[in-house]
Amino acid sequence: MTETVAAETLAVEVRELTRTFGARKALDKISFDLPAGSFLSIFGPNGAGKTTLVKVLTTLTPPSDGTAKVSGLDVVEDAVGLRERIGLISHNPLLYPDLSAEENLRFFADMYGIEDPADRVRELLIAVELDHRRLDLVHTFSRGMLQRLSIARSLLHAPEVLFLDEPYSGLDPHAVEIFDSLISQIRKDHTFVMISHDLAKGLELCTHALILARGKIVLSAPRSEIDEGEFAATYRATVGTGVA
Amino acid sequence: MAEKTTPAVSLRPSGASLSWRQFKAIVRKDIVMELRTKEMVTSMGIYALLTMVIYQVALSQAGTAFDPRDIAAGLLWLAFVFTSMLGLNRSLVHEKDQGCLEALLLSPVDRPVIFFAKAAGNLVFLLIVQTLTIPVFAFLFLQGREYGGDLWMIPLALLGGAIGIAGVGTLLATMSVNTKGKDFVLAVLFVPLMYPLLLAAVSATSAAVLGGDGYVQQFWSSMALVAAYDVIMLGAAFALYEFVIGA
Repeated sequence: MTETVAAETLAVEVRELTRTFGARKALDKISFDLPAGSFLSIFGPNGAGKTTLVKVLTTLTPPSDGTAKVSGLDVVEDAVGLRERIGLISHNPLLYPDLSAEENLRFFADMYGIEDPADRVRELLIAVELDHRRLDLVHTFSRGMLQRLSIARSLLHAPEVLFLDEPYSGLDPHAVEIFDSLISQIRKDHTFVMISHDLAKGLELCTHALILARGKIVLSAPRSEIDEGEFAATYRATVGTGVA
Repeated sequence: MAEKTTPAVSLRPSGASLSWRQFKAIVRKDIVMELRTKEMVTSMGIYALLTMVIYQVALSQAGTAFDPRDIAAGLLWLAFVFTSMLGLNRSLVHEKDQGCLEALLLSPVDRPVIFFAKAAGNLVFLLIVQTLTIPVFAFLFLQGREYGGDLWMIPLALLGGAIGIAGVGTLLATMSVNTKGKDFVLAVLFVPLMYPLLLAAVSATSAAVLGGDGYVQQFWSSMALVAAYDVIMLGAAFALYEFVIGA
């Protein structure tokens, strides 16, 4: 996260970004850049502004002030075009429980205007190893299967930037293993922005890390410049003192 | 994981054809889910039938001189308004509860397309409930009595009213879905806004049931008001939906 990176290689550009809810500032003039192909882990206590930041970057919430660009597109001015370039994997699978796996993916394929949706859906169901369950209703799926289907949903339109909002929440160790394997296989083709409370996992995956508290950036650095001990101490101090 | 997860996927350029595809997908999805769960139509249908039973009890002491045809249109629309509030709330709450509204909003779909698709789905469910309710109402209250007007006018009046209810109701349900007392908020907003439509729809339906001097003129002038209401409110909802759904 540096200001020396050429503009065309930036996946995320945030400048003086502010988001208020009434008198409360969820984000308070934060600025950072993220090069394309990077993996950013965002840490912080509850209420620090992590989810608000992701909601702004995914066009779900408009900023109150400042600017943000993802894949070179402004989150306000180019919101519709930007939505074609981003995907979101959340702790909530964002799938319709009363539709089958295939119906869910076909529905979202229609939303993104994907040509030859049948082929693309089948390809992704095979990729996440759910082809044998494609006709089953989603409410019969385990948490791990839901998360795999959620990955397939988020990859349908081949997004450039993937946002992960606490994706490991509620996953058992085996599901975590499968999820990690899926992420590692798509890693080279995407930029990732992940919210996490798991310091070890977040640092293991990231190329850049950021700690938010009270809507401000407390620490932001490339992974190569981070000392795990100091980072953990800063994180614990931020969470422990109830800064949020 | 198999080797290809991020090929060069072809996306159809945004425009009318994509919007039409998105519209059809949302309507189809709502209908398929309703056919599986039967949540909306069942709850609305049972509520409407229970309302008929209550009407019958309420009118049981009215005496033989009382002609239910005089108030038939009002009773019918009263049942439809309360029944529709029940269903309209469910249509958005279902979407919100599963977090699917967020996924829908993340996709490159114009917000008015979401509005028209959700309203179209709600209209289908309202028409199904109306179709189930009318014969029961006729059996309980209008059996053996003559219709003074023309029967074909009744479905036309019901359709015109249902379009307004579905349009305004979908907009208000979207507004209220993020509020704590969503049922209360929807009712408080819905009834006053529906007042002009109800007056016109009741008048048109009354003309169709009762007939009498100048009933054709009364029907069409009332239907003109219904149509004007539908056009104005659908236009307003179209213009406001982006703001409402993003709030």
